[in-house]
Amino acid sequence: MRRKASLILLAFAVFFAALSPLLRFYAFPRLAKVPANQYQVMVLEAKGATIMDASMQVKKTDLSIVQTLRGNVEESEKIEESAGRDVVVWDGLSYAQDSDGKMVTRIPERYIFDAHSSEPVHATGEMADAKPVKREGLEFKWPFLTEKRDYEYFDARSRTTNPILYKGEQNFRGVDVYYFEQTIPWQKVDYPSTLPVPNMNPKTLEKQTGTEMWYTTVRKFWVEPTTGAPVYGEEIHKEEMRGGSLTEAAGGKMTVFDGHVKMREDFIKSTVDLVKSQRVLVLLMTSYLPWGFLILGVLLLALSLWLEARSRRPGDDPESTDDREPEPAPAGV
Amino acid sequence: MRALIAAGIGLAVALALVLTISSMEAPPGKTSPKPLLTTVPKHP
Repeated sequence: MRRKASLILLAFAVFFAALSPLLRFYAFPRLAKVPANQYQVMVLEAKGATIMDASMQVKKTDLSIVQTLRGNVEESEKIEESAGRDVVVWDGLSYAQDSDGKMVTRIPERYIFDAHSSEPVHATGEMADAKPVKREGLEFKWPFLTEKRDYEYFDARSRTTNPILYKGEQNFRGVDVYYFEQTIPWQKVDYPSTLPVPNMNPKTLEKQTGTEMWYTTVRKFWVEPTTGAPVYGEEIHKEEMRGGSLTEAAGGKMTVFDGHVKMREDFIKSTVDLVKSQRVLVLLMTSYLPWGFLILGVLLLALSLWLEARSRRPGDDPESTDDREPEPAPAGV
Repeated sequence: MRALIAAGIGLAVALALVLTISSMEAPPGKTSPKPLLTTVPKHP
């Protein structure tokens, strides 16, 4: 009886011990993915920002930026057929308005990426501010199990990829996070595809006036490493018009935007709550279950060996010999 | 020999379970009908 029990325990011990690495290293990378139908809204604010309004006057205002990301399931299914992997297509819009509710910028994007690794996938329709791009690096989201290292991050305004530097671990509102920072140095960029100034064509403006658009930013992200989701972000963003006829009166340089953009308090709270709940699901597959199964496997193995040892002890338990070979009958009986 | 068979059964069941779970595809759902916003929402 003990022998049978020890064999059953051994089978369970191997089952749980094998399940532990299989779950962590085989199942998790295949199961953990960004859902294709996600819809997410984020509101950012820049209090006391300097902007150029529709009448081309520079003014101070409290700017609000609404950033919507909507998973396009139909497009992702089309791209998956040719790419042969799980793909997410995010149609995004960053819409900025001043304190009077007037539009300041309107930047549409289509970001296509691998649902598991968050790496960009290139397909028709990929764009930043209505211009086709071929992204390299991350945007919006880090991969699951983010590492303590620098990553490449795509900057939609300049349409360039630059390193985003890992700057250490921090605790943000009770969540252990990795802090990343990226600096985009001053550089000439295209005019936004939609301008708040009427009768101005962004495609021909530079040619007509000789005035260039320049931009710099410092981008900061606090990323929860298990999910790869940023729980907070800030950006110190500046844009200027330089040279040409449009800036003559202002001495050759005009501020178009100068502000410190931060997430709105109620959205920080909801993001932190969301990430905390998602984190538990990822930890379940990467830590809690694998370690639990491994410990259970070792305990069951120990119990199995103990039972086996007891079953072999002579005269200890006569019932335990029921699965042994029968003793040969004495000769002459 | 019996111990090897027991261990083999445990391993085979673990492999079968993980392969089955990993091959399961969650339905992708549908694109949200909600718009890309051009107004500031009052709350999340």
